[in-house]
Amino acid sequence: MMEFDLFREYGPALLRGLSVTIFCWIVGTACAMALGFVLALVQRGVSARPVQWILRAYVEFIRGTPFLVQLFVLYYGAPMLGLRLDAMPAGLLGLTIYGSPYFAEIFRAGLNAVPVGQIEAARAMGFAPATILRRIMIPVMLVSALPALVNFSIILTKETVILSMITVPEIMFETQTMMAETFAFAESTLVLALFFWVFVETISRIGRRLERRATHYLLDRS
Amino acid sequence: MTLAPSLTGTVNPASARLENVCKFYGEFQALKDISLVIPPGKVTCLIGPSGSGKSTLLRCINFLEEYDRGGIWIDDRLIGYETVGGRRMGGRALREMRRDIGMVFQQFNLWPHMTALQNVAEGLERVKGIPRARAHEIASEALAKVGLGDKTGNHPSRLSGGQQQRVAIARAVAMQPRIMLFDEPTSALDPELVGEVLGVMKQLAAEGMTMVVVTHEMGFAAHVADRVVFMERGELVAQGSPAEIFQNPGDRRLAAFLQGYLERNSLEL
Repeated sequence: MMEFDLFREYGPALLRGLSVTIFCWIVGTACAMALGFVLALVQRGVSARPVQWILRAYVEFIRGTPFLVQLFVLYYGAPMLGLRLDAMPAGLLGLTIYGSPYFAEIFRAGLNAVPVGQIEAARAMGFAPATILRRIMIPVMLVSALPALVNFSIILTKETVILSMITVPEIMFETQTMMAETFAFAESTLVLALFFWVFVETISRIGRRLERRATHYLLDRS
Repeated sequence: MTLAPSLTGTVNPASARLENVCKFYGEFQALKDISLVIPPGKVTCLIGPSGSGKSTLLRCINFLEEYDRGGIWIDDRLIGYETVGGRRMGGRALREMRRDIGMVFQQFNLWPHMTALQNVAEGLERVKGIPRARAHEIASEALAKVGLGDKTGNHPSRLSGGQQQRVAIARAVAMQPRIMLFDEPTSALDPELVGEVLGVMKQLAAEGMTMVVVTHEMGFAAHVADRVVFMERGELVAQGSPAEIFQNPGDRRLAAFLQGYLERNSLEL
């Protein structure tokens, strides 16, 4: 017997959790992308050995450890070293750090795929490096990188549930509360799964639209 | 094409002077002590077998390729270094010099996310600081002059190779350069599209632009060039007027190169 009446009582809390999840995903993904982009630029533009070495160590460390472990380090470990973060800031910082090397790799590959000749044409005309990056390299890079960016952003939606482990009141956290108090496992987890499915589907639709818009000039339309 | 309106307005053509230019890729020496004078307002064609260093030399003139020894002067200003054998020139000074040097590439190198109009206007806006409305005006005039007045809204993917190359020429010319470099501008084109690009180049030459052209089009070199320079294996082997080079090739290697060219082209008939 499914008891969906329970949602009358737990609905508001779940909705709050839902909005926290969406908020964490948006902020976390945006910050991870920004940090990833900076990492890609540094990797491309700074050839100094120590910088490259630190960068590689960072990327390998982050990719080589589970997200949950990183969150625990930030939330439970860092206070011992003097960095005391509330659950929400720790969670957002965690998402940023966790996502950054993957985004960096996507941006690095995308920037490398910009045809050298298009950059040379701008250099030969006297464009400043920052202008070349902003006006030529980023728009051209986005076309090839967009599918991978959307894909990893979708992966990050599902990683947000791990924030419940450090008490961020997102949808997983609220669902667990409901389960503990009502034992309505089937109802609550079904709703949780349904929510993520709709969430991810929405993002991938938006992603496909973005891809179409970014690549419209490549299509041979009369 | 001679009836078309002036491409450039008034040009104040620059000269270029190369002295003992050397370029190394590791152990390999791509340019061996090249000295050459590019006279102002004239067309200089660089010919020679592939791998002879002619494109490398051309790319040294705007310092896209960094030469290692010697000096290259645009008018009387050294490009790339503060003094001969001295420190690298600052980025700002180099960019300022490059504004005077237009370049056209074998692969056109248009920016694919911009329309033809935006491709031409971009440099006017971002490098010269011309307001957008005025930049678009200049750009659409420049495109009209190369016969593409009806294609201003097309992205490069919707233009033929010949049209793309004409956009690229308009993009360079709109910046009002004082010297133009052409790196095999027709080599990537289908044979039937070569003529339209060479036509625009001839008009540019007639207007008194200083032009340095790396080309395999011997007809263009013979009929349009004022000076022809033959290179092989990184060396400048011979230079002279087209008549001197094509009708009376004294040098053995030059004679062999021209003979090979003639044989290939008669076989194609």
